[in-house]
Amino acid sequence: MFNINYTFHWNQAFRALPDMLEGALITLQIAVLSMLIGIVVGVLLALAKEARFAPLRWFANTWIEIARNTPALFQVYMIYFGIPAVLQLAASLFGIDFRALGINIFYLDSYWAVLVGIAFNNAGYLAETFRGGLRAVPPTQTRAARSLGFNAVDSFRLIVLPQMFRAVFHPMTNQMVWAILMTSIGIFVGLNTDLTGITQELNARTFRTFEFFALAAAIYYVIAKIVTGGARLIAWRLFRY
Amino acid sequence: MRLPLILAAGALTLGLTATPVLADKLDDIIASGVLRCAVTLDFPPMGSRDDNNEPIGFDVDTCNDLAATLGVTPEIVETPFPDRIPALVSGRADVGVASTSDTLERAKTIGFSIPYFAFNNVVLTREDTGIESYEDLAGKNLGSVAGVFEAIALEEDFDTWEGGSFRTFQSQADVFLALNQGQIDATVVTGTVAASTVNSGNFDGFVIKGEAPFLVDYVSLIALRQEYGLLNYLNLFAHQQVRTGRYEELFEKWVGGGAEAPNLTVPGTYY
Repeated sequence: MFNINYTFHWNQAFRALPDMLEGALITLQIAVLSMLIGIVVGVLLALAKEARFAPLRWFANTWIEIARNTPALFQVYMIYFGIPAVLQLAASLFGIDFRALGINIFYLDSYWAVLVGIAFNNAGYLAETFRGGLRAVPPTQTRAARSLGFNAVDSFRLIVLPQMFRAVFHPMTNQMVWAILMTSIGIFVGLNTDLTGITQELNARTFRTFEFFALAAAIYYVIAKIVTGGARLIAWRLFRY
Repeated sequence: MRLPLILAAGALTLGLTATPVLADKLDDIIASGVLRCAVTLDFPPMGSRDDNNEPIGFDVDTCNDLAATLGVTPEIVETPFPDRIPALVSGRADVGVASTSDTLERAKTIGFSIPYFAFNNVVLTREDTGIESYEDLAGKNLGSVAGVFEAIALEEDFDTWEGGSFRTFQSQADVFLALNQGQIDATVVTGTVAASTVNSGNFDGFVIKGEAPFLVDYVSLIALRQEYGLLNYLNLFAHQQVRTGRYEELFEKWVGGGAEAPNLTVPGTYY
């Protein structure tokens, strides 16, 4: 059917390859940073969810419930468009007009909105993964560490955490791939420097939709494959018995 | 026994040589009785929705006129700007009536009619930004719709300026939302859309601050590049809209305000 309606011009797409690879670098950058933030926050959320102090539990539960049960697109869109609107509305109730005062602190640039949004999402998912991982480490490990003279923090940091990471490493790799693919949501909040943003702009400029999208899909695929392959290597070095 | 064989052979030869001429898109539209137009509906006054959620605007009326001349029923296929070509190639729509700028880059992919409308671009900003003209945009946070004529022109200038940022969004509505909230300080947008947005009263503090020094943005009807029959028809249609005064009439209806309908010809040249 496409043969009747459309002639593919692949050379035009391949000429844009350097630009697209530059975009892929931004994509990877956002994914890696969001993953690092997600891991740190995820561990904290997993601990908070098991905490004895109730408000901590509520906080962690709210975060995890929103992150896991609403679309990632919604989360990123809310961070970019929603929060400034709500804050402006709230401020105007007190008769304050931030914009007239020249204060723009609530406005995250597109790049940061995507990064924060995906980190938020990652942290929510990873928290549940980590909670499962923590359950997989027998409590006798902590008791053994404590009886050998480790304090509470050290026994968690040096004995429990490494074992937990071993248990959850593969689900974490999944989350990393998911984070890479999620960055494509950025085009809805004005991100035009990542792989999808650049692809969409090339598309609108030349109308060579199918070539550019196919090439972008191939690049996403290769990145995801490299990440899973790399993760397997790391796992082999770090976690073999 | 021989006769049927000869007859069969004759019929076969006839069948091979008398292959019917393939019906083209224009035939298909007339035969199907329906004209499906890809129209962008977040781009007032060219395309938008009324209080009953019905499509309205210059482009919608143009599609209705085109269908009337063809003697078929119009069907509006809502199509965001970036989806115009996929809509045509995948066969979801027959013709694009969606204010498509006729760039040479795009003409490599899609077929353009002669212009059926033309835009001038203006600077749209908020009162509090202190922007007074196009020159003031240097160093500011700017945004536009991904890949449209004015976005390409603005980004070229932006690249020669220092500081600031340039962001692209997937729809005109998101650009206005970002401008309203302050993620961006200004955008460059077609004069008709700017006027209609300021007059809508939906956005407090939006102001138009002078024209952008871009070339006139001529927009055309689009169809698949190889559909010459249809493209020829679209050319004649665009011509007749002006000749019969319908173009002026539609301009008065949707833009109005005492402005004159833009001239669709360039002096001193053929199309």
